[in-house]
Amino acid sequence: MSVHKYTDKVMDHFRNPRNVGSIDNPDGYGKVGNPVCGDLMEIFIKVGKNDKGEEVIDDIKFRTFGCGSAVSTSSMVTEMAKGMTLDDAYNITRSDVADELDGLPPIKMHCSNLAADALKAAINNYREGSEPEIEITTSCQLEVRVILGVDEFKGKGVYLEVPDLEELREKRTLIVDTGDDSLELALKLTEYTGRVIVVTSAKETPGTVEIAKNLKKSDVKILHQSELQEIKGELNEVEKVVIHDFDEDENYELFVDAVIILDYRG
Amino acid sequence: MSIYLDYQAAKPVDPRVFEVMKPYFTKEFGNPSSLHNYGYNATNALEEARLKISKFINAPSPDNIIFTSGATESNNLGIIGAALRNQRQGNHIIISEIEHISILNIGKYLERQGFIVSRVPVDRFGIININKLERLINEKTILISISTASNEIGTLQPVEAIADLAQKNNIWFHSDAVASESTIPIDVQKVPFDLLTLSSNDIYGPRGIGALYLKKGVRVNPIIIGGGQEKGMRSGSENMPGIIGFAKAAEIMKAEIIDEAARLKILRDKLIREVLKIPKSFLNGHPEKRTPHNANFRFDYIEGESLLLSLKDEKVEVATGSACSSKTLEPSHTLISCGLLHEEAHGSLLLTLGRFTEEKDIDKIIEVLPSIVRRLRILSPLTPSDLLKKLQEEEN
Repeated sequence: MSVHKYTDKVMDHFRNPRNVGSIDNPDGYGKVGNPVCGDLMEIFIKVGKNDKGEEVIDDIKFRTFGCGSAVSTSSMVTEMAKGMTLDDAYNITRSDVADELDGLPPIKMHCSNLAADALKAAINNYREGSEPEIEITTSCQLEVRVILGVDEFKGKGVYLEVPDLEELREKRTLIVDTGDDSLELALKLTEYTGRVIVVTSAKETPGTVEIAKNLKKSDVKILHQSELQEIKGELNEVEKVVIHDFDEDENYELFVDAVIILDYRG
Repeated sequence: MSIYLDYQAAKPVDPRVFEVMKPYFTKEFGNPSSLHNYGYNATNALEEARLKISKFINAPSPDNIIFTSGATESNNLGIIGAALRNQRQGNHIIISEIEHISILNIGKYLERQGFIVSRVPVDRFGIININKLERLINEKTILISISTASNEIGTLQPVEAIADLAQKNNIWFHSDAVASESTIPIDVQKVPFDLLTLSSNDIYGPRGIGALYLKKGVRVNPIIIGGGQEKGMRSGSENMPGIIGFAKAAEIMKAEIIDEAARLKILRDKLIREVLKIPKSFLNGHPEKRTPHNANFRFDYIEGESLLLSLKDEKVEVATGSACSSKTLEPSHTLISCGLLHEEAHGSLLLTLGRFTEEKDIDKIIEVLPSIVRRLRILSPLTPSDLLKKLQEEEN
């Protein structure tokens, strides 16, 4: 539907997006959206001063995961903001961006929200002078909290020790990051099934340098900054899990056949 | 001319079909219910068409075929009609997690009417868990409805096993055959379906016409009430041009299906082989147990609508399971049920081949796709930095 309704300007920015990329040591950094709902956007800014001594955006770059209008609005907001004073840039609204693009299909208006919001987030990050990002490179879920459903499904898809991997052939398996052993198990398991998911509280790829390198190369899916909250099923079999995403502060469900928690104290 | 690889959404009417339909709009306009000659001719044409449809699925008799307005109506009549008919025996119905939206919504509707609907889960390839299906059956179960294949990922269901299970437990088995109708022959005497949904457009016939097959002895309560056409199970004056077109399409399909499926499988396999050379690209659905015309991919770090728009710029028309291309902004329920993460489901690309697909069409998509994926990955904040560097070097 919407695909046919994009304006020429939207398509122009989609085909030739302006200011793509990142800035090393940016003065401000903003990230909004959520890949779960299909949009994620980052904006990097460098701040300078104009002749009047006002703060202006000297340079701006973006990266976006999302639909056509998410890309176009990101590109447009960077073009609009470049050279603007910080105060003016901060006041750019979602409808300003949409108007500059000669309009967006109504259902896409939330995407342009994202672009203006990412810019605001970058300016806030600059003004508040806080660290652009706090890196957590090691796992923090070593102390596993109570997970609902573990007792109910123990032996019925939930494993609290290393299982016979043959049992997991072609099974969608979720492994809770409880340390390097669990991560090594995840890597090993990719020889048995194409669907291995690790849930970790870490923001970056967890594990030792060697494990992290191998994880990156593998097809293991990693759910960062997340924890397993509940295991659900029917007829005494694991069917799905509830994952809590700290970063977005929201829960979602994921269909799996097996869950491995190597160090569970309940 | 654009390259069209979205045959699952809509198919063109075969010119041979269109040709035989034409007289039924003008000269042969009779109503089969009339007793004069116009009506008599229409009755003959109607029954001849019914015979052709019955032959298409190897049904023992044309009496097994009820014409409807299409697959959605056939699903409604087959499931709601069977549920209403058998509600004294029980109120439990089993469908799968990955049924077509029309069946999922019929399930919700029946729940509001007091029926209990179970949804059998699927594995990561989209195949239903037959053991679980067996255990879901109870003394109140009156109907199982599971499609022959997924319209999205093409996964074929073990319909023989489901039919056996249903028969053993004295439960009716309804199946929506639309997704496999154009490439996999149906023989209702080999697989004992009780009810089967057929669509005309999915075999290159006109839209607005379909059929429901009912095994001998199976009857459903009507959901459209009126003059009692179609043995009282589907009232309304017959859509004669549609029925004539549907029957011709079925006749052609019956004659050509084996060769056509073999031809499409060769093209589709080439497509899969070449596309999977793109790093971090994956095939959704089962590598072998899938309809021969279906390919469904996903590409890490990118979103489906962007992919679709970029392909459109190259004059290749495709579909995606991305939320952004849907009315609800929800990603494909089928891919989520297979265990994909939301962001993975957003990056899916559905390519369905058909009667008029040629090898050069496949070559074109193989040619343009890698650079499109690369460009979108360079744009994406999800792309890992080492891959990003590599892609940027390739781009320059």
